[in-house]
Amino acid sequence: MALEGNLQNMALSDLIQVFHTDAKTGILFLKGTHERGVIYVADGRLIDAVVVRGKERTIVATRDEAVLQMLTWEQADFIFRYEPTVRKRPIRIVHSGQCLILEGMRRHADPVRTLSYYNITPETILHLAALPRNVRSGVRLSIDQWRILSWIASGQNVHTICQATGLDVPAVTRLVVELMAIGLVEIAPCLSAATEPAYRDCTMIASAAPVYAHDVPYINKNSRSFSNVCGTMRQVCSEIDLLDVITRCINQL
Amino acid sequence: MTTHVLKIVITGGYATGKTQFVRSISDIEPVSTEQVLTATTERALKHETTVAMDFGSIAINDQITLHLFGTPGHERFDFMREHLLVGCLGYVVLVDSCRPAHLPQTQHLLFRSMELTEAPFVVAANRQDDPTALPLNYIRRRLGLPFNVPLVPCVATDRTTVRGVLLTLLKHIAARLTLHS
Repeated sequence: MALEGNLQNMALSDLIQVFHTDAKTGILFLKGTHERGVIYVADGRLIDAVVVRGKERTIVATRDEAVLQMLTWEQADFIFRYEPTVRKRPIRIVHSGQCLILEGMRRHADPVRTLSYYNITPETILHLAALPRNVRSGVRLSIDQWRILSWIASGQNVHTICQATGLDVPAVTRLVVELMAIGLVEIAPCLSAATEPAYRDCTMIASAAPVYAHDVPYINKNSRSFSNVCGTMRQVCSEIDLLDVITRCINQL
Repeated sequence: MTTHVLKIVITGGYATGKTQFVRSISDIEPVSTEQVLTATTERALKHETTVAMDFGSIAINDQITLHLFGTPGHERFDFMREHLLVGCLGYVVLVDSCRPAHLPQTQHLLFRSMELTEAPFVVAANRQDDPTALPLNYIRRRLGLPFNVPLVPCVATDRTTVRGVLLTLLKHIAARLTLHS
């Protein structure tokens, strides 16, 4: 009892559309080359998601950011299982599936905008995010993520963290973005207005291209040879009219 | 007394439920040509597959009998489908609602079948009892089916829905005949 396939045959955006239009409930598992993702769906709405990496299952992203990351995947096996208990899970995804699809398309078209790399400079000051009440434990961090987190806790900027940890700026930026995706870290409030994600306003990206691209024109054929088939069948049913036979079939089947 | 035989073909991609469809509705014990699968990738879905055809029969009354021919699903047995479609009154194309990867194959099969015969057909979306099944409108769009081709929900193990598919096909054939007459 599951929907199975590969993103090459059915894109995640299509799956999200189907979940929404058919009010599906269940858990979608995706298995990419290096990462795995899970999306929880309740009555067609995306309520929670997570992306993990490697055998250690290090959390790379959660909630909206996890869905956005998965929308950029082109190759992954998926399986969607019906699971009614998902409805009892807390809703942790803020945006609608449609909004996330549009933002995912925008990021796909402009990879520079992927995540918040372009917002983080050596002068960026970071701080710990306030965790929601319903947050659950189970987050596993790598050693480098822990090291970065410990410096962020003391309100340092990226440049200071680089000096303290001995990591270069790109590496620290990548780790900070991963911690932001998990929801543990935020850019300090003085810069938050400039770094607000654009996808909070869906109207900005409403003019994006249509999601569906699989339609194939149907070959409309004339029906001359069908009458030949009917002629053959008339020979078989030599004594009665074919239409009469079919009508009787319909009535008696 | 003369017996009139009407030939209906059940076709579709690999592991879409064609054999089960014939078994569910046939009055007689169906004639099957099932063989054990050897390819590991194919065994993930089922252990036996049809290599020639399935045959079932429905006696409408003393005079009229419907003969159902199920085709093999493998592309390497396409020649059997071509043989079986000759002279058919109409055909059913089965599609698995839970395997989107099979939709392009079904679309190819549809085009190929329309080249071989212009007999009327309906598409039956199997496994619609599964809560994760793809909705009919999505299947129609992916297959590029126009709205004048019926797309019917189906559960191949359920005789009632199988009967519904055949009734839809017969009504579709009757409508086409009325149009041509």
